[in-house]
Amino acid sequence: MLKIKDLKAEINGKEILKGLNFEVKAGEVHAIMGPNGSGKSTLASVLSGREEYEVTGGEVEFAGKDLLDLAPEDRAGEGVFLAFQYPVEIPGVSNINFIKTAVNEVREYKGLPVLETKEFMKLLKEKQTLVGLSGKLANRSVNEGFSGGEKKRNEIFQMAMLNPKLGILDETDSGLDIDALRVVANGVNELKSSDNAFVVITHYQRLLDYIVPDFVHVLYDGKIVKSGTKELALELEEKGYDWIIEEYNK
Amino acid sequence: MATLTLTNTERFLINQEGQDFSHEAKTFIKIRELAIKNLKDLEFPTPKLEAWKYTNLREVAKQEFRPQSAINVLGSRLKPHLIPNLDAYVLVFVNGFFVPELSKVSEKKDGDFIVTNLNHAKAKYIKLVEPRLGFLTRDKDQFFGNLNAAFSQDGAFVYVKEGKQLDKPVHVINLVDGDLVVAYPRNLVVAEKNAEAHVVVSYETLDTQSALSNVVNEAFVAEGAHVTIDKIQNENSNTFHIGGDYAQQDKNSTFTLNTIPVSGKLIRNNVTVDIDGEGSTANLFGAVCLNGDIHVDNQTLVNHSKPNCDSNELYKCVVNDNASSIFNGKIYVNKIAQKTNAFQSNANILLSDDAKAFSKPQLEIYADDVKCSHGCTIGQFDDEALFYLRARGIREETAKKVLLDAFIGEVLDNLKVDAVRTHVEALIAKNFVSKK
Repeated sequence: MLKIKDLKAEINGKEILKGLNFEVKAGEVHAIMGPNGSGKSTLASVLSGREEYEVTGGEVEFAGKDLLDLAPEDRAGEGVFLAFQYPVEIPGVSNINFIKTAVNEVREYKGLPVLETKEFMKLLKEKQTLVGLSGKLANRSVNEGFSGGEKKRNEIFQMAMLNPKLGILDETDSGLDIDALRVVANGVNELKSSDNAFVVITHYQRLLDYIVPDFVHVLYDGKIVKSGTKELALELEEKGYDWIIEEYNK
Repeated sequence: MATLTLTNTERFLINQEGQDFSHEAKTFIKIRELAIKNLKDLEFPTPKLEAWKYTNLREVAKQEFRPQSAINVLGSRLKPHLIPNLDAYVLVFVNGFFVPELSKVSEKKDGDFIVTNLNHAKAKYIKLVEPRLGFLTRDKDQFFGNLNAAFSQDGAFVYVKEGKQLDKPVHVINLVDGDLVVAYPRNLVVAEKNAEAHVVVSYETLDTQSALSNVVNEAFVAEGAHVTIDKIQNENSNTFHIGGDYAQQDKNSTFTLNTIPVSGKLIRNNVTVDIDGEGSTANLFGAVCLNGDIHVDNQTLVNHSKPNCDSNELYKCVVNDNASSIFNGKIYVNKIAQKTNAFQSNANILLSDDAKAFSKPQLEIYADDVKCSHGCTIGQFDDEALFYLRARGIREETAKKVLLDAFIGEVLDNLKVDAVRTHVEALIAKNFVSKK
């Protein structure tokens, strides 16, 4: 589904990703871990199409297309979803209108007809229940005045509404209490199927108790320096990153 | 041979001669004579004057604008200038002159209100008009206020009796037709004690290569009364528009002015509200969305003369292409106006490199127990918000429109008549797109 080859990217002239290789197949859940500043969020940003980052080398293939060639909205249309680490507040735009516009623009991209209001409302109710997002938030401005937990649930809710092929969760667990964490993880688990895949970027092993990854990768110095199964995450929790860094620097 | 050099004022005034107002009552002729006397002492405004710093009227002074009555305006020409689905009393003026056959007046004997043209009211309801007409535009220094007072041909007269209200809004349509025309429409709105009135005033063009609209709206809001004026300025790009909106409020009253400049060559609005009774609220809202080469200059003055009053001022501007937007808002709080709550905000979004916005908030406070705030911002699109929308699959063009609608929607929420809001939204949406 997603093939990243020798990806290099920089921001303001500073190279962050230094030749990253990574592959995700349908039905898989990958966790990307790593110390601060290793390039985790940069990877998420580059995949979603943030313009501040300049790709200086390598390639990213998604579902047979050159992902780096697509505008952010077209990436979403193709089925890439990024759950933001810091969801943006947009005053004056209601959450419901926002998601309705998004759902229909993505449908249009795929050549599907616009959802009738009735169908849309049905989908909305179903997905709100899935992530435990209060119906009251639908008429509020996007993320405005939402608590940290509400913002992250809203991200998972949007992901559920858009039903992407690839969901990238950028530190979705940061700032969440254990209940919110469970709800968010539960949402992801419900959405998981043999046709889609998830990349969970996280600092802590905690989230991986709830979203069990098939593979765990350690990102350091702009590269994936170690890959393994979920046991690797437990090892990292116990021993920290120093031993991997030492191994890498040898 | 001696050459006679005329000043801009003199030359402009010569072109205004020839209108016959002799049929009017003496009291109204006096207003005109006084205004002409004031004008003769005034210099045609130039950017040397602080109030005209950003708006240059050189082209207005240069052109030979003259009053012209329009002939034969057909209903089919009016139709595009109506507001769809608006159920209202419609008064139509062309070049400042009343067109009775296209208008729907209401002056039932013993009715709750009078909706008619000002000239008719000056003759028939002199007791209602005389104590008010021109009282808010007496300022000697105001060139265009005096100009309208001197040469105004006609306008709307809306009068609501004590405790009564209009059963539907009044829509005053001002059209300009012909070249080198100057029109002086002047509306007088009076709401007696506890009365309510909603007036929509639109300025539109039939056809002109060059025109000047010098307009005045004068509103008297008695104790406990509520008056709303929606002002939609949608003239063609050959038209200069210089307007004055004046309101005087008695106690516990509300006055709301929604200003929506949409198109024209140059638009200047001078808004003056005198809050002259305790417990009153003044609301001034502006939705300014501009593209092309238009120049729009909004000047507001809120006079808090009495204690315990509120004023809310919110002007939001989206400026595209070469357009420029100026906002100069002054709040004056008299030393007896304790417990004043005055809020003013001006936010601007520039959509192109050549778009310009100037903002100048001014507070002059002589009372010591007041809450006054003002703020202005000039910026571009919120890139984070734009990226967030795009990351959810919303195309850049749609995403920008969503953000602009949200930005300006906060102002449009104050348009309480659905048909007016829908109409304004459609007019504004065109201006979000570059003309280039």
